Parts: sequence; C-alpha cells; structure tokens
Amino acid sequence: MSEIRIESVNKSFGDKLAVNDANLTIHEQEFLVLVGPSGCGKTTLLRAIAGLGMADSGRITIGGRDVTYLPPRQRNISMVFQSYAIFPHMTVRDNIGFGLKMNGEDSKEIDRRVNDAAELLHIEELLDRRPAAMSGGQRQRVAVARALAMQAEVLLMDEPLSNLDALLRLEMRAELKKLLAEVNATTVYVTHDQIEALSMGDRVAVMKDGIIQQVADPTTVYDRPANRFVGSFIGNPPMNFVDGVLDRSSGGPVAVKVGEVTLSPDAEVDSAVRDINGDRVVVGIRAENMEALAEAKDGAFAVDVSVVEPLGSQNLLTMDVAGHRMKISTHPSFPVEAGQRLWIRFPGDKIRWVDPNTEAMIYE
Amino acid sequence: MPYLLIAPALIYLAMFFAYPMFQGLMLAIFDDDAALVLVDEPSLDGQEVERLTQGTRLNILGRQGNLLTDDSEGTELLTEQWFLVVGESAGGAEVSGWAPEARVRIRDEAADGTPLGGTIRPRLGAGSDEATPLLAEPNETSETVAELEQRAPVTIEEIAVLEVWFQVQASEDSSKVAGWAPSRFVEVFDDEETGRVDEGSVGEFTTGFITKMFNDSFFSDAWQTTLLLMLLILPLQFVLAMLMALVIDARLKLGSGFLYIFTLPMGMSDLAVGILFFSIFTGNGLLNSVLEAIGILDGPKTFLSADTIPWIIFAIVLAELWRATSIVMVIIVSGLQAIPRETLEAAELFGAGYWQRVRHIMLPLLLPSIQVALILRTILAFQVFAVVIALSGGDIVTVLANETYRQYFEFRNNNVASAYALFILLLSMASAFFYLRAVRAQTEVANT
Repeated sequence: MSEIRIESVNKSFGDKLAVNDANLTIHEQEFLVLVGPSGCGKTTLLRAIAGLGMADSGRITIGGRDVTYLPPRQRNISMVFQSYAIFPHMTVRDNIGFGLKMNGEDSKEIDRRVNDAAELLHIEELLDRRPAAMSGGQRQRVAVARALAMQAEVLLMDEPLSNLDALLRLEMRAELKKLLAEVNATTVYVTHDQIEALSMGDRVAVMKDGIIQQVADPTTVYDRPANRFVGSFIGNPPMNFVDGVLDRSSGGPVAVKVGEVTLSPDAEVDSAVRDINGDRVVVGIRAENMEALAEAKDGAFAVDVSVVEPLGSQNLLTMDVAGHRMKISTHPSFPVEAGQRLWIRFPGDKIRWVDPNTEAMIYE
Repeated sequence: MPYLLIAPALIYLAMFFAYPMFQGLMLAIFDDDAALVLVDEPSLDGQEVERLTQGTRLNILGRQGNLLTDDSEGTELLTEQWFLVVGESAGGAEVSGWAPEARVRIRDEAADGTPLGGTIRPRLGAGSDEATPLLAEPNETSETVAELEQRAPVTIEEIAVLEVWFQVQASEDSSKVAGWAPSRFVEVFDDEETGRVDEGSVGEFTTGFITKMFNDSFFSDAWQTTLLLMLLILPLQFVLAMLMALVIDARLKLGSGFLYIFTLPMGMSDLAVGILFFSIFTGNGLLNSVLEAIGILDGPKTFLSADTIPWIIFAIVLAELWRATSIVMVIIVSGLQAIPRETLEAAELFGAGYWQRVRHIMLPLLLPSIQVALILRTILAFQVFAVVIALSGGDIVTVLANETYRQYFEFRNNNVASAYALFILLLSMASAFFYLRAVRAQTEVANT
C-alpha cells in the first residue's frame, strides 16, 4: 500500500506562498510527473512529501499513514536529488549501500541489493570506484541505483536529468522510464521540461504559482488543457491564442468573429460559450491542428508568412492572424517560403475556447 | 614579462623570509668568534701560523703599533696615536717626521681637542739618548729621518691612529707556536705579560649552541610541559570546536549570537587572557570567592604556586581552550558550510540520524578543514608563551618559547635562544608534515 494523498497542503517561505492548497492523489505504483516553470512550487511540494521541508498546514499520507510531520527516514521513501548528492568520500558500493546500512540491514543483504541495483543501472564495474573521477551520467546512475537499492514503496525524483547534456538526457529518459516500470514503486518525478513530463508520466500534474492547474494523463494535458496556461506551457510550440468577439445576435448558434472570419463553436460547447461573461472570447489552437491552404477558401484567414523554419519532420511558419503572432506547422511537402500569402483554416473540433475572465477552457 | 611580474614576490621572499630565516639559522649553528687567527708578522697580510679557541690563556711576548685599518671596535681594542711633527733640529734646520704620542707633550689644542702643537718630552733615566728620532712612517720599524732635542717645540701636521698588536703564545699548550694578533681580540691581565683570547677573529660552524640548549637545565622541563599542554589542549579543543561549529551550523534562532560569543576571545591578546585567568585563580580571585560563597572552601586556596603545579597546568589549559578554540571553530564552520545541503539531506533521507550524519558524512568531508586547523593549532601550541608567563611567572612552569625568551633577555645568549627557536621550528615543520601525510589519502577523496 503506497498511495500518496496530499490534502490541502500549504507551504510558504516568508510572504511567498510556494504551495497553495495542493490536493493530489498519487495512486499506488503510478508514475506522476510534477511539471511547471521554475518557482512554481513543484520542488517544494516534493520536499514536503519527502519530509525535507515540512508543510505548514494540510495532510500528507503515504499508504494511509499520516506522515505530514514525520522525519524523512520514517516515511519509507527514497529519492534521487537534482545534484545527485553522491557522498564524495565513499565508494560507489558504499554510496548505494548507505541507506541499507543506516537501516541496519545485514551485510549479506546489503551486498545482494547493492549488486542488484548496480546491475539494473549497468554500473557493476564502477562499484569500487569513488565518485570523484566519474562523469555526470555515471553519477546519475549511482544516484538512481542508491535510490532503487532501498526498495522503498515511494520513489521521489527531483529533476534527475536536468544536469545531463541533451543527448544523454534523451537516452536516460527512455532507460529511466523502462526501469521505473519494472520496479513498481509509486513515483513522483519533478521536472521543468514539459517534453520529459509528457514522455515519462502515467499522469502529469501541471503547477503554476503554487497551484496545481491540471492533473491528467499526458494526452489529455496536451489535447485538452484545463486552462490557457497549461495550453501555453505544455507543447512545443505552445498553443496559439487569438482574441475573438462573441456575436449572440443571430438567435441560432453563437458566432465568434476573429478578424474577417466567423467561427462557430461545436454544438456541445455552444451554450457554454454563449454563457461567457462579456462579448470577448479567446480562441486557442495547436500549431499542427491548423490547415494551411495555398488558395483562398471560405472561412480561412488570409495571412502573410513572415518566417519559415524547416525542422525536417515539419516546417514551422510564423505569421500574424488577426493581430496575433501564431505558429503553424506544415508538412515539409507543402511548398512555402517567407513573404508568401497563405490561407489557414481552424477545424471546428480542434479549436479550444477560453473564457477570458477565468482563463479556463470550455469543454462540454 | 611574466618573470618580471613575479620579481616582487621573489624580492619579498628573499627579504622577509629567506634572509631572516638564514640569519636565525646561522645564529644557532655558527659561532661568529670561535677562533683567533695568529699571523707570522704584525700585519693583516701576515700568514696564519696558529688558531686559538676563545678563552685560551696567553703569554704576551711583544707588542707593536700598527696602523688601524678597521674602525670597528673590539672590546679590548688598544690604540696608540702617532704625530707627524715639524720642528727645528739641533743644527737649526727644519725637519719633520713621525713620533709616537709618548714622545710629544701637547701644549696647543684646537677647540675640539685636536692636538696642534707641543714639545718633545725629555727622556727620563740616566744614559738614555736624549734625542728623539723622527721616523719616516708611523711605524716603529721604519727608518729614522731626523732627530729632535728634548723640549724642542713642534707643530703637529697629521695624526695617525695605530692599533697595538701583541705577539702571543698559548701558555698552557707548548705545541702551539707564537704569532701576532690585534689587541682587540686579546684581553691583557694586570701583569701586562699574560692574557687570554677574548674573542675570535674568524667564525666556525658548531653544534655547541644546540648541545648547550639540550643540556640547559630548563630544557627538559620546557619540552615536557609544552608537549603535555599540547596533548591536553588539542583533543579537548577539537571536540569543543566541533560541537560549537555544529551549534552554529544548526542555524538556531539565536545562531549569530552564539557566533559572537564563541569568537569574542579571538579579539583578546593572549597575555590579556593569561592575566584574566590569573585574576580568576589568584588568592582573592573569582574562583576562590565563588568556592567560599557556596561553602566548599573555608578560606582562600592558593592555586598558582610551586606546590600546585597541576592547578597551574589546569588554569593554562582552561585559558588556552577559552582563547584559541574559536579559531578552530571558524575553520570547521567554513568547512561545514562548504558541504552541499543536498548531500546532508540525502544522508537524512536515506536513514541517517543526526549523529550518524556527523559521523559518516560531516566528519569525513571536514577532514581537509580539520587538517588545516590541526596544523595551525599544533604550530601555535609549540609557541605557547604569554598565557604560561601570566599564570606561572615563567619559572614554576616553563615552556620552549619561554626558554627562548629567557636565553635572549636574561642570559643574553642569542645563539642558544636561536637554537631554541630552531628547535620549535623543526617541531612545527615535522608536525605539519605528519598531518599532511596522515590526512592526504582522505583529502584526495574529499576533493571532488
């Protein structure tokens, strides 16, 4: 039993509220990624779970046991630190076995589990070396092996890949995901890298300004972001937003005027859009969800391409739509060059409607 | 160009390090005036015929004036003045030549006492030649150029100062040959026929001063006390400093207050601390007052006397702990703050309690800091001085630095004082070397 429940947790540093009324349940053996820009409170929340910085108020339970104010070693957790926090004066073997030794395991058991963990991370040949002469990637593996050797039910990871170079990070990402699927621990993984979040997590919790914005599986977070912030933070390029004006005059379905073009919400969200306070609405759409056309067509924006960025698998076009800068991705076979006039269309089912008063997105 | 840039450093090294060190070392192992060189004729150009050590008894066989070539005065320097005089000879001709001061009575002096003129002295005693010879040069062996009658008036044209040289022979060792030596090196006894070598004219390397130091009656006391104090103070000091550093590092509410209290003694001179503790342990001092007030003592107890040496040692240990622990603490605190916070958090998370973190993480990572503090404190422990003087007066309990001082100021023996200083230096270097070797293995590990 290792479900983690976070109930109404607050934590502030001086005047700054780092975690604001966080409620989150991390299911047993789930891999949950906490993602957000720096200073959003994700590390603070992780440290509250770890017991390295106690919550000011609220309750944290692990496997039904209230651990809110317990010291870390009584929580049955283990952790990988951002700086790895390898003990520089110990051999890799002693590093990995440190927690077991502190727990008073007998030396045979320590040996066995150290070797198992080292094998999982492919660092058997490093066991008798000291960390001084090791590369960042090797230290990273030692840190993970040390955490795994504990065989704790809860594994916490604080930006474990952020100190690696780009190529190694990509490699480690896949390896770590595979490894964590095997060890069956309830994992909370903190990162500021939205790609890491989407690619690794069973579920993703997006945080901003100490508030959890959305908790959902990666596809949902990407495709149906809860609000404007999630849409713009998750995904590269970020979701495009453009202002529209509501026209409720027709009596029939509500019409939204964006520049010269009139869009109409799908039937499922029509009434919700109509109920928006005021006559403004924000239209959100992802770069890859727009249709680029070489000829004028009904309901399409006429735009001038200002920048073309060929990325190999796609071309990224920058342009102004109704006074807003937007990015559109097109297939490399679609011929386009800078300065060229194009027509783009927003498919109705891909448009996300944002209430400008609350910044929340409107779904059926 | 880079070599030009390090020139100031080299000059600094030479002037303020190498030169004084060399001079100090030489004082301890080189005897400036170990031997007197005797030469075959009364001249600086003479050939060496014999070397006599300082203090050798001499028979004085002859004496002669010799132009003083060196202004530096020896303690026994004997001089003689010769005048270049001009006068009228018996034949009425004007003559000039050199005469010793004994032959001229000064009758006319300049305001500053410089002789300007006089008369030739009459010779006493029957049968002596009444004429005084004038010589070509201010030297008894030079030829006579003229003669003057007694009482002939003369003017003095020039003055030469001669140093008396003695022809001497070692009186107690007949194998030594006779030779000449300047008067400044020879002490003449009252009989004017015997004397001794007062100081040598040449230096020699010697182990004499070092031997003298080891045979000094205070040496073994000083050495043993210094070592005892070190063995008592250092372990206590490091345990205390570590605890103090942990208190500071814990960042308690009043943490900075602790820092001020702990480091306050660093601002006091060691002599002041010694006097402070003297005032605590003295007859009507704080300790006696308190012990009397709470009824443990009936009357004042004498803590600092020759009969209570353990108490003196205790007071010194206490004073040194109070005075010098904070410097160790400061070094350890800076070492503690260099340990990454995540490293300690990781230890905590992986199950280490506070003392386990101290034992398994902090202490090993502090080794380089502890090494620095150990070297510093050991060297300072060999130099302990003012506190000991203040609490014991320097006679009841003595230490190596006190013996250096005693030799220099009380016995006026720079050489043995230097030997003591050299001994302290060698002890310091040996201990620093020992610590560097002993902690090196761990240091390499911690430098990651």
